[in-house]
Amino acid sequence: MTALLETRELGRAFGALQAVTDVTLAVEPGELRAIIGPNGAGKTTLFHLISGLLPPSAGRVVFRGEDVTALGAPARCRRGLSRTFQITSIFPELSVLENVRIAVQLKAGGNFRLLGGRAQLDASERRARESLAFLGLEGRADELASTLPHGDQRLLEIAMAVAQEPELLLLDEPTQGLSPEDTTATVGVIRQIAKARHLTILLVEHDMDVVFDLADRITVLHFGRVIAEGAPSDIRANAEVQQAYLGTVA
Amino acid sequence: MRGRWLGALALVALAVAPWALARHQLSLLTDLLIFGLFALSLDLIMGYTGMVSFGHAAYFGLGAYGSALVLIHFEQPIPVALLAGALLAGVIAVPVGWFSTRAREIYFAMLTLAFAQLLYTVAYKWRDLTGGSDGIAGVPKTTLYWGGPSVAGPHAFYAVVAVSVVLSLIVCRALVASPFGRALQAIRENERRFISLGRDPRVFKLTVFVIAATFAGLAGALFAPFRGFASPEVMFWVLSGQGLMMVITGGIGTLVGPIIGAMVFILIQEILSSYTEHWMIFTGAIFVLMVIFLPGGLVGTARRLATRA
Amino acid sequence: MSVANVVEQLLNALALAGLLFLVSAGLSLVFGILRVVNFAHGVFYMLGAYFGVTSVAVTGWFWPSLLLVPPVVGVVGAMLEASTLRFIYRRPPIYQLLLTFGLALILEESVRVVYGPTALGVEPPALLQGAVEIAGTFYPRYRLFLVVLGLAVGAVVWLLLTKTRTGLVIRAVAQNSEMADCLGADVTRVRTLVFGAACALAGLGGVAAAPMTTAYLGMGISVIVDAFVVVVIGGLGSIPGSMAGSLIVGAAQTWGAFYLPETAMVIMYAVMGAILIFRPWGLFGEEE
Ligand SMILES: Nc1ncnc2c1ncn2[C@@H]1O[C@H](COP(=O)(O)OP(=O)(O)O)[C@@H](O)[C@H]1O
Ligand SMILES: [Mg+2]
Repeated sequence: MTALLETRELGRAFGALQAVTDVTLAVEPGELRAIIGPNGAGKTTLFHLISGLLPPSAGRVVFRGEDVTALGAPARCRRGLSRTFQITSIFPELSVLENVRIAVQLKAGGNFRLLGGRAQLDASERRARESLAFLGLEGRADELASTLPHGDQRLLEIAMAVAQEPELLLLDEPTQGLSPEDTTATVGVIRQIAKARHLTILLVEHDMDVVFDLADRITVLHFGRVIAEGAPSDIRANAEVQQAYLGTVA
Repeated sequence: MRGRWLGALALVALAVAPWALARHQLSLLTDLLIFGLFALSLDLIMGYTGMVSFGHAAYFGLGAYGSALVLIHFEQPIPVALLAGALLAGVIAVPVGWFSTRAREIYFAMLTLAFAQLLYTVAYKWRDLTGGSDGIAGVPKTTLYWGGPSVAGPHAFYAVVAVSVVLSLIVCRALVASPFGRALQAIRENERRFISLGRDPRVFKLTVFVIAATFAGLAGALFAPFRGFASPEVMFWVLSGQGLMMVITGGIGTLVGPIIGAMVFILIQEILSSYTEHWMIFTGAIFVLMVIFLPGGLVGTARRLATRA
Repeated sequence: MSVANVVEQLLNALALAGLLFLVSAGLSLVFGILRVVNFAHGVFYMLGAYFGVTSVAVTGWFWPSLLLVPPVVGVVGAMLEASTLRFIYRRPPIYQLLLTFGLALILEESVRVVYGPTALGVEPPALLQGAVEIAGTFYPRYRLFLVVLGLAVGAVVWLLLTKTRTGLVIRAVAQNSEMADCLGADVTRVRTLVFGAACALAGLGGVAAAPMTTAYLGMGISVIVDAFVVVVIGGLGSIPGSMAGSLIVGAAQTWGAFYLPETAMVIMYAVMGAILIFRPWGLFGEEE
């Protein structure tokens, strides 16, 4: 089987700081891959490199067999790669519905009508409502996104990505800052997405319970390098991983 | 709902104004509407897209020169002059916008100012065409169409201005509610998110920049025949800054707010200038206080109070 | 073009670059620390020039004015920062730009009230009057002085930023705005100090410029536009960037004025345009 996403010797430096080094990954279709590693390991930077928000300083990104290294973030998104951010990234002063509707329309491509455009709005709105319902946010569709509680804002961001019906979904610490109940709910949502939509998911996560609960495979980053990769049970037993965590996380 | 009533009321007021107002009052109202349109156009980029231009007066000035030249040299009807002014502004905005939208936020503000000063210098130095620092005087108010009635009277020209401004407002409202307009607001809210959702915002920004410049050009094109002149003053940075003040005073991102802001601002200026020639100190101070204490402007604050009540 | 000509143009470019550096370095520094683009920065340059006029008129001496005026301008700047800007740092950056625009209007008009609308000249000190012969051409001593001043201040700023502890903190904050929070309670003071210091630099530029350009209304806006171009070219927040940008703009304006007297500005914009295409964040700026 060919991989949906491959990175080859991917690297990124910020000045003298080598944030990501030599990362080679292959994510199979339908897989739920978790990326773990201590703070500052380079997980978010890796996501930026994969989604095209940052250009790499070395290496290549291949998505659905196509080398997308030279493409910007918008083009990669239209090819089926949607993401969320570690720090909640929504359109705060727009309605919840409009947040998702914009996501749908941006993915759909085509021209944005300057005047009128009722049909365009209606079509994207229908899809947006479905996605909101899927995440249990339909009741808040007309509220301003900024007025939602933190947990719902994180769900909204996932709703925006899911509404785009991507092939590959990148989730950067979706449970960050959530209460235990919200975390459980979000884990449920992610599992449901993976099942119901046959999505391939790349997940950065701090909460080890969540990771071991959800992931098919786990990749461990440390100081920007992959130090281990394998099934959850292998990773749990891996000494190097334990050392990486014991060494940096108190 | 309340907004619709207020809008209808404002339209009626505009319609009866020629009969209700004295001649100099009508002339002041014409002036207010022209600058209202200028501020409205700035709000498209500033309020709806989050791009603050410090050089918007350049397009007002281009519109003024474009219309003045057409009226003086070719004596065309007013709509032709308006079209010429608006188009000139829009066309020049394409290269400026192409460069400026490469940058964001503060860089964008600095670039628009720099390009505006460049255009100002060109207007100042290209004496053969623009009359240099004297500008172009004696711009006539011609006719409504070829062989049609003259618009030279104060009532007729007021009608031309009022209709232009109301139509512009209607078009701009439709624009911000369209799929394109909503995309602009998403860009304003979070450009990075917009990018990662699949579109390059630059095309949108350039388009709205040119549209805003075109409407500013229309305002300038009305200004030249109304006042009878076009001069480098109307491209100067002070006017760009006053545009920002009008938008902030009235309420950023509300379209009608900036029109009201322009009116309030010019009225304050009018009143202050009858007491002191150094009114700029006071408008500056009022502006500083507005920025600190009323960032939503008059309309923004009023709406907030209305929804809270 | 003769050698003499080349030398003369080179010196002119350097003199102009020196003045531009005094203004743009402060602009850049304030942006680095406060994340504010100070529209009123040019007006402080103008204040420096006018205060210089007053001080020379009162004392009859130029040199003390050169020392005295910058701190006064700096105090005015610091006071304005502490009474207005300080309250709106949490807003989107554009509000700070708007606020400083309001301040610029107030200051510009106040200068008009106090000094009237006509330009005011300043006699250069006796030592710097007349011309010296360089490479077969007579060159005004005062401009040479500007070259030296620009270089000296550039060197001092450079040393302060790279060799002192304060400079280290400032550079660290400039590079990483989140570090500002690590300074804790000191942030407010650091901001006011930096703002004041930057205004003082602009003021120094103003006093130094006055004997060459006279003090006139509108010198603030014209210098701030040039300074904006400088920082767009060099990169906001970078002192080496200001230096490089000043040199480029100084050269573009000088040679532009020589070859294309009517359209000198166009050259400067062409350079800026080219840099924007290839490096939208400036030569020394940080890519976002
Ligand atoms: N834009 C940037 N500029 C400079 N350094 C950065 C930037 N982004 C991240 N870094 C650095 O790169 C390293 C990896 O960061 P990041 O990818 O955010 O780690 P993680 O998500 O694993 O916590 C960190 O040391 C961080 O400080
Ligand atoms: Mg991270």
